[in-house]
Amino acid sequence: MNPSEEELVHQFSQPNRRAGAFSVIVRTYQERLYWHIRKMVLSHEDANDVLQNTFLKAWNGLDGFRGDSQVSTWLYRIATNETLTFLTNKRMRCQSSIDDVEEGLLQNLRADTYFNGNEIQLKLQEAVLKLPEKQRLVFNMKYFDDITYDQMEAILGTSVGALKASYHFAVKKIEKYFEEE
Amino acid sequence: MKNNKNISIEEMSKELPFTVPENYFDQFALQLEEQIGYKKPFIRKTLKTWMYMAAMFVGILIMGQVFYTVNKNNVTRNAENYETYVLSQIDENSMADYYVSEPTK
Repeated sequence: MNPSEEELVHQFSQPNRRAGAFSVIVRTYQERLYWHIRKMVLSHEDANDVLQNTFLKAWNGLDGFRGDSQVSTWLYRIATNETLTFLTNKRMRCQSSIDDVEEGLLQNLRADTYFNGNEIQLKLQEAVLKLPEKQRLVFNMKYFDDITYDQMEAILGTSVGALKASYHFAVKKIEKYFEEE
Repeated sequence: MKNNKNISIEEMSKELPFTVPENYFDQFALQLEEQIGYKKPFIRKTLKTWMYMAAMFVGILIMGQVFYTVNKNNVTRNAENYETYVLSQIDENSMADYYVSEPTK
């Protein structure tokens, strides 16, 4: 049986039990975090890199984690920051506009061997990619993962009202994209 | 061209159209543990402790050797100085008399 979250946080502060506790954390959250990242970066290789960086950051920042928030919230926060940093760096490396980067992501997605979607699903991904980055994040978390607005508020640091509005506008934009295409 | 009126994305499948390589999640944790090197800090720490102890031991040996050599030289030098001092206090004639005089029976 896996230890409780409180037990895990307690184990973080004990040098001889820290590695074991972290292994439990990795095995518990790797899949959820992977999909959270994958929906933003789209390619498997990029998602794998960002997930690794997320856990490396978490491991190195273990001393700073005092259990003020849930472990999942803390990890989602790191994963989100790492994902946004990754996309920013990609944009800077390309020295191109947001549209070019998103178009590049889409092209990679079409060629990705780990994408098995049909026409409608590809079109949905195209429409989601047209959204501003933060709105895309909110849409993915709500639409695909059904994360509550309260949880999203804790992770993203944005008020529930703003998140609801952001999701509403994202849905409208996507539906409009489908109608126009 | 508009060909889809009143689309509702809530009615679409929410299944993600992505896949991952086989056994990806099983391998990921193992690779991450290897990358982080959980056990390395312990090994490095133990090795460091032993290295410090060995260095200290070698240091003590070297210091002991140096101290012994210096001390030995001082003793020898002191003995030589004492002999020279004693000899300097004796008159040469008295010394010659001492060597030529017959031993007392």
